[in-house]
Amino acid sequence: MRRTSLVMGALTLMLAVGVLMGLAMGPVKLDVHQLLSAIVSSDYHTAHAIVWDLRLPRVAAALLVGACLGVAGCLLQSSTRNPLGDPQLFGLGGGAAVVQALSIAGLIQIGTWGLFSLSVAASLVGAGVVLVFASRQGISPARLALIGVSISALAAAAATGILAEARIFSAQPLNFIGGSFANLGWQDVLPALPFLAVGLTLAATVVGNLNAMSLGDRVAANLGAEPGRTRAASIAAAGILGGVAVAVAGLVGFVGLLVPHLARLLVGHDFRKVLVVSIPLGAAVTLFADQAARLLFMPSEVPAGLVTALLGAPLMIYVARRVL
Amino acid sequence: MLRLEALSFVSRGTTILSGVTTVIPDHSLTCLVGPNGAGKTTLLRILSGELKATSGRLLLGETDTSLLPQGYMAHQVSIIPQVVQPPPYLSISELVQLGRFRPYGAIWRRLTRRDHVAVNASLARCQLEALSKRRVEELSGGEQQRAWLAFGLAQEKRFLLLDETLDGLDVLVKKSSFELLKEVANEGKGIVLTTHDLDLVTQFADQVIVLSSGRVVYEGPPNADWQNRVSPAGQARWHMA
Repeated sequence: MRRTSLVMGALTLMLAVGVLMGLAMGPVKLDVHQLLSAIVSSDYHTAHAIVWDLRLPRVAAALLVGACLGVAGCLLQSSTRNPLGDPQLFGLGGGAAVVQALSIAGLIQIGTWGLFSLSVAASLVGAGVVLVFASRQGISPARLALIGVSISALAAAAATGILAEARIFSAQPLNFIGGSFANLGWQDVLPALPFLAVGLTLAATVVGNLNAMSLGDRVAANLGAEPGRTRAASIAAAGILGGVAVAVAGLVGFVGLLVPHLARLLVGHDFRKVLVVSIPLGAAVTLFADQAARLLFMPSEVPAGLVTALLGAPLMIYVARRVL
Repeated sequence: MLRLEALSFVSRGTTILSGVTTVIPDHSLTCLVGPNGAGKTTLLRILSGELKATSGRLLLGETDTSLLPQGYMAHQVSIIPQVVQPPPYLSISELVQLGRFRPYGAIWRRLTRRDHVAVNASLARCQLEALSKRRVEELSGGEQQRAWLAFGLAQEKRFLLLDETLDGLDVLVKKSSFELLKEVANEGKGIVLTTHDLDLVTQFADQVIVLSSGRVVYEGPPNADWQNRVSPAGQARWHMA
């Protein structure tokens, strides 16, 4: 318990540093004094606008998407007993990606709320497929991941096809496929909050059972952990959170896979702690990845998903050697 | 005491168990033997409440278990399935601690002093104290089996069902495990063990039930000649299997 508190404290500190970085640094550098005045008063009009309308929504989006992906990955890994659990690897993001592509191409016009709802619904369809396969006795982790990867590849192909057909070759589709927080405003972030709340609430109803799930369905059932209901709720929650993440920032890879493993290295194998730690850890990983994405190549920038993949892949190999 | 009355189980048109009538007492080690495919595992799954019998009754004491609330049987009976893959990353003590899992308030629950006493006692009984910090994947097959046994004991339920849990062990460890089960049974727990080791059954069981093709072909104490008293038809099938 003390270790968890320590980890949570350290992560909070990291998040604070990350948020300050996200607000102060960029093409227009603000020192502490300028930043504070920009936050509290609208007298310095330009700085105020930069902080409130450009940088803060972007920071908020990174925090939110990171938290969603971290929790979704944790739920998938624990409820399917699969160390490869990740909303993107399992194909949950695929459906949402197609919806987003249709929207970018202008083929569906249903407003922000409709788009979020449709993304989450599409992601839940993917979650349903995963649930059906994961509920089969004796399906190997690798096979489940292969099915997920196939769905993802199919969805990515469909999304790319839609964008190509619509003759959109701007940075927007690139950012979307790569996963990016560029040019996000409050209207892209706020609609995600109710979905985040629903996803987390659903997760909270079953998080207590996740430890027992690791012993297999039959033993879990004998212990009273209701494996069927626990898995369904976990995967549904992961579907909601994964869909929201795609709706906000596109396909940000590796965060959902990496964060729960990192969390386990930090606080051990109690999934209740892992889930809680995955929230700030996912947020921190994504926030710092986005800072690197926008600051390293200033004034140009790369999609944040590129950075998460760049950091995530080697770290994942290290984690795989220790945990798998 | 668990009582089975004319209990049958049919799955997809195949009769797995038919007309099983027998008694599983507390305070005793019951060994369930018979050829592969005789229905031993199915019988254990019915006893644990995991499967519902197609016909017939399962009584806990005098109460028909079909009238008990959902999950009630799981509080009375712990089961260690034949094929269990413990998560490789757990330590032995973490695995045994999961035996103290309770679904109510599981999100906040921490182990009580009472839980720790039960966990430590089970580890000690299965001679796993020295290994308690080791990870499951680092153990030999036999040590893993003992870890599951400790997991079952730590649950402290009235009945413990073990599906071939001891059959992977070497002769000496297996014998000491039978002794341990006998001891635990004498203290009051009703234990049902499926096994293929007939010599140890003769030596340690309080009661033997022989299943063949879903029927009970012998039940009673393991007298010196119990294997010969298995009905000829049942015996023939056994030797063929």
